[in-house]
Amino acid sequence: MALWVDKHRPRELSKLDYHKVQAENLRNLCQQGDFPHLMFYGPSGAGKKTRIMCLLRELYGAGVERLRNETMTFTTPSNRKVEVMTVGSNYHLEVNPSDAGIYDRVVVIDLIKQVAQTHQIDASGQREFKVIVLSEVDELTKDAQHALRRTMEKYVATCRIILSVNSTSRVIPAIRSRCLGIRVAAPNEEEITSVLQLTCKREGLTLPAELAARIVDKSEHNLRRALLMLEACKVQQYPFTGQQDIVELDWQVYLRETANQIVTEQTPAKLEKIRDRLYELLAQGVPPDMIFRGLVEQLVRNCDMSIKAKTLEYATLYEHRMQNGSKHIFHLEAFVAQFMNIYKKFISESMMMDDF
Amino acid sequence: MDQYPDEDEEFELRYQEELEMLDDLPPEGGEVFVHNTTINHNNTINSVNAVDTIDSPHLSQISGISVSTSTVVNRRLFGTPSGPHKRISSTPLATNKQRGALAPIEEVVALTPLPECEPLEEVNEPAVELQGMGLRNKRRLERDLFGDIDDLFQNETYEDPVAKKARTEEERDLEMIEKILETRRRLQENNKAVRKDDLSRLKALHEFKMRNLSYTVPQWPFQVLRRGDRERVFVRFHSEEYENHALEDVRAISQFDGLLGENKQRIWAEANDIVLKRASTPSQQQQAATVSATSSQESSQDEQLWVEKFKPRKYIDLLSDEATNRSLLYWLKMWDKMVFGREFKKKEEHNVNSTSNNLNTFNKRTGKFESNGGWRKRKFQSMLDTNLDEHGRPMQKVALLCGPPGLGKTTLAHTIARHAGYAVREINASDDRSPEAFKQALESGTQMSSVLNEDRRPNCIVLDEIDGAPRQSIEFLVKFVSDNVINKVRAKGKGKPERNLLKRPIICICNDIYEPALRPLRQIAFVVTFPPIETTRLTERLLQIAQREHLKTDFSALYAMSEKSGNDVRCCISTLQFFNAQKKALTLQDVLNANLGQKDRQQGLFDVWGAVFRIQRPRKQLEKSKLNDNTEDVEITMTDMSTSTRVRNVLDVVHGGGDYERLTQGVFENYLHQKMPDPNLTAVVEATKWFSFSDTVQHQINHLQNYTVYPYLQFGFAAWHLMFATLAWPKINFPSKGFEFRQKSTTQSNIFQAFRKGITTGMNGLGQGHVILVDTVPLLKRILSPQFRSVAVQLLSQRERDDLYHTVTVMADLGLTYTQVKAAEGSYVYQMEPDLDALAQFPGYPGIALNYFSRQLVAREVELERIRRSTPRLGAETSGKSATSNPTAAAKNATKNLPNHLQRLKAKQIENKNANAKKDVISKDFFGRIQHRTVGGTREDCKTDAIVKSPIWYRYKEGFNNAVRKDIHMHELL
Repeated sequence: MALWVDKHRPRELSKLDYHKVQAENLRNLCQQGDFPHLMFYGPSGAGKKTRIMCLLRELYGAGVERLRNETMTFTTPSNRKVEVMTVGSNYHLEVNPSDAGIYDRVVVIDLIKQVAQTHQIDASGQREFKVIVLSEVDELTKDAQHALRRTMEKYVATCRIILSVNSTSRVIPAIRSRCLGIRVAAPNEEEITSVLQLTCKREGLTLPAELAARIVDKSEHNLRRALLMLEACKVQQYPFTGQQDIVELDWQVYLRETANQIVTEQTPAKLEKIRDRLYELLAQGVPPDMIFRGLVEQLVRNCDMSIKAKTLEYATLYEHRMQNGSKHIFHLEAFVAQFMNIYKKFISESMMMDDF
Repeated sequence: MDQYPDEDEEFELRYQEELEMLDDLPPEGGEVFVHNTTINHNNTINSVNAVDTIDSPHLSQISGISVSTSTVVNRRLFGTPSGPHKRISSTPLATNKQRGALAPIEEVVALTPLPECEPLEEVNEPAVELQGMGLRNKRRLERDLFGDIDDLFQNETYEDPVAKKARTEEERDLEMIEKILETRRRLQENNKAVRKDDLSRLKALHEFKMRNLSYTVPQWPFQVLRRGDRERVFVRFHSEEYENHALEDVRAISQFDGLLGENKQRIWAEANDIVLKRASTPSQQQQAATVSATSSQESSQDEQLWVEKFKPRKYIDLLSDEATNRSLLYWLKMWDKMVFGREFKKKEEHNVNSTSNNLNTFNKRTGKFESNGGWRKRKFQSMLDTNLDEHGRPMQKVALLCGPPGLGKTTLAHTIARHAGYAVREINASDDRSPEAFKQALESGTQMSSVLNEDRRPNCIVLDEIDGAPRQSIEFLVKFVSDNVINKVRAKGKGKPERNLLKRPIICICNDIYEPALRPLRQIAFVVTFPPIETTRLTERLLQIAQREHLKTDFSALYAMSEKSGNDVRCCISTLQFFNAQKKALTLQDVLNANLGQKDRQQGLFDVWGAVFRIQRPRKQLEKSKLNDNTEDVEITMTDMSTSTRVRNVLDVVHGGGDYERLTQGVFENYLHQKMPDPNLTAVVEATKWFSFSDTVQHQINHLQNYTVYPYLQFGFAAWHLMFATLAWPKINFPSKGFEFRQKSTTQSNIFQAFRKGITTGMNGLGQGHVILVDTVPLLKRILSPQFRSVAVQLLSQRERDDLYHTVTVMADLGLTYTQVKAAEGSYVYQMEPDLDALAQFPGYPGIALNYFSRQLVAREVELERIRRSTPRLGAETSGKSATSNPTAAAKNATKNLPNHLQRLKAKQIENKNANAKKDVISKDFFGRIQHRTVGGTREDCKTDAIVKSPIWYRYKEGFNNAVRKDIHMHELL
């Protein structure tokens, strides 16, 4: 637990740094020793998992923190072995079913049923139910989500399911309606700053307000990112200075450069180079929708107002198509080509105008 | 005319044997194979079989004069001595016609009351008749078959043996192939050369008529025939010698259309009419139908397909690549030891003379053949294992013929199998090929031989169109072939499972060798890939056929046709027949307009991409014909440039190519290279839209199995074609980027998986899934590259030491370490394990900024940290256990907590206690000397204590230098 994100992570509901009202509500929720299925939703790095763990601790006590790793193997109908890593205690089980890729349905069916069907032998001194924590449920395929909905109802006596979701829009309504939604909003700037300052205080460091503000700015309201950045800054240079370099994410820089290249030159040859860069990004595991978003943000920043709207329009169009397809590169390239087209037209038109 | 009458007695004498055999054996029909062979060797049959059908075969030659020609030709080529033997070598091109002619005239003959005549029913149907003949002559046929190849090889041995020895095997083989090719050429030349001299031909014909036909009763031995106009014709019988002479003569007049000249058609029709009348008695309705079908032949439109008609009957007729033919034949010959060696013994009792003779020579020949088979060393060595296994079978027990349709794979298999003396049993896609049926067929095919039809040839199984067979069937075949099928029946009887031994060759035929179901078969089979047939060779054959069928055409048209059909023999011949049926000349224009060769042909990927990116140039001029000089050059545009044609072309090609996903990827990676006047990238945008469309469709298909949208996939190619195709030859690279991308993604995800497995519990802050990759890993890399000087740990400043410690703990938490690996350049580097450096790493960005020394330092520290972490945990566990309330457990724990040596000492203590009871103890001092002393319990306790307290202990007479031991704890080493 040497990383600051883990080390200084609040373990109890009472010790949470922000959303204190919500924390109080959560505490009230499990006051009676029971709660419905929950769905925590909010952006990455907002503290969903922290709250889930705090809630579990509130419910089961410190035993929840004695975790163990397990690798479970599932056999798909097509006789393929799928390995999924789970983290669990005696009281709960954390799974990320989307690890199994397109076989996530098998995981949902097998694993969750298996856990849900086993009753607690010794009901005394324990809760009557186990908790299954499913992360990244919005990444699940529709099949898996549909497999989940019945399970949730059927085994409600023996298990509760806590879902951790980035965006509820990708969770089917059937599941949304079965859960109590708890929104974990991203912390605002002051909250992040205070967390950073608190962390530094615990570590015995002094953090200049300017640096803190810059980190907050760079972190895009992602507390995890902010803390990791702070730690990276500390490693790079300690006594902190207000102007010191903040470590940026490589892929963001790479993406920015890509966007700049698109703006500087619009030729098929360039398009091909861009394609290589996009391939690189995809291969490194950057999700295509994040690439889309990053590209659009950068492109829009660099172009004239008149084509901004168009750019956005096409971005949404191709992003939507991408969700319906499987080869992301096609759609990314289609967007880039489209932008090049718009941009070039715009440039040549403005040249004409200049001539007049 | 062309028949050679002989005295009846002479015939009877000569074929006494056959007659007797005939009497013994009931006539059997129905076997397709027999049918074929009979057709094949019609000529032989004709001469031989005069016994029952009088001289009908001889008469039949009236129509098929070419038969005699080819007979002569073949004889000349092979140089075999005269006798019935030589006559087998007829051109297949002719035989069918002859056969067609045979039937009706036989009927005519049947009219004339003659003692030897067979009952009418049998004569009536040509097929049955022929089969009957085939049966009777089976023995002969077999020898003839072998005789054929015998000829081929004897031809060679006739050359001076000394010189032959001197040559290398390889040369000899080359020569052999040369010779076969030469033979073929001569065959063709012969057919052409003779045609011209019409005058001499007519003259000879007239003379011939004068000598051999008469309306009055002649003086020479004769056979009476009734002509259509009720006129009696006396046809002369000739002796064998005469026939030979005559054959020599007739060689000069090979290419005229029937001996009767122009009258032939008329006579033919009349003959048929008579047959019809005779046949249409109420009891024989069936036959009437047959005959009426035959009578429709009058317009020279056979009911038979030309493809069947002009099928190669002989090895020498094969159009396919010579080396391919030879390799397959060689493989088949390798079975001889197994098949014929055994059969020889079995059959000896039955037909002693001819069969044994046959097989003897056959075996001898095999030996010869094997000794001079040098070609295989050159080309087929890698594919064909020439060794025989312990049962005398070739190592590869299955031959797998593969190639595009219409090249004659099936024909080759049949011809060669017959040639090598097998009876072909074909199982094709039309048969039931479920594993059960397959098993039945295989077993019956390999373990039984037909008893009924007197055809004593061993079977050779030809599995046609095997690429469509179910996977289980093929698996069974593989098991069967590798002798792993256990004979259950026998196993029951003997109680001991006995493996079935495959004793017959199996030839499999497929179009697509890379069919996944065929993979197991491919590994054990002798794979013969069929090369395409040369266009010129095919054209020549087509020309021959056209000439024979009196179809007016020219070389260039045929050449264009063979080219257009992709050298598909079957397609070409069928087209020819089609045009013939239309009764008009086949011109180049016809060929170009015809819709042939547009079938599903598997196109190479590059062909398809080429077609997408290239506008096909209109082909203005066809090649000047090489053989027929009279054809003028034809200026015709083969393709027009209209959009619709282009689109249709592309769609055709793409459709043929299949595998749209791969094709799309290829276009995707190549379209930007194409030269296009596209300043605003409008076309590119359009193209990318199509890409994203086709991806969406593909997704629909792959994920939802919604195949209704499949047809839309191909239209993208048309769009891309219209946007990017140029006249210039496009540079097309194989699409590798998509593959590389996939490779890389896999590597990355593997590293990522390994990384995630290493993370200890409770590291929740890292996030889940891709968040780790996107947020954590890039920053983690920075966190793990602290700055400290490259000095020993002791010399680091406090801050540096803190940084190092922080790094080390984080790495230990995450299960990371550095390992020393050898880099490609040969130097050693410390690499992160799992390779975090490679994760989220973009070209041109710094990874973990640690030099070799620092990494080494960190690696060491991480190891130590890990050890440190693992030791206290053990202690904690034991202490936790000892804390339990159970007293016995506590006691146990206490003993456990004692070092090893103490536990043993305790055991001794018990012994000593026993001794204590006696108060007489044999105790030993340090050096093992026995001390006679009575010891009190207290004293002994003290002694144990002394040992217990010391961390060093020893064992007496252990015999090792580590007999003295001491406990050492991990922390003392660290």
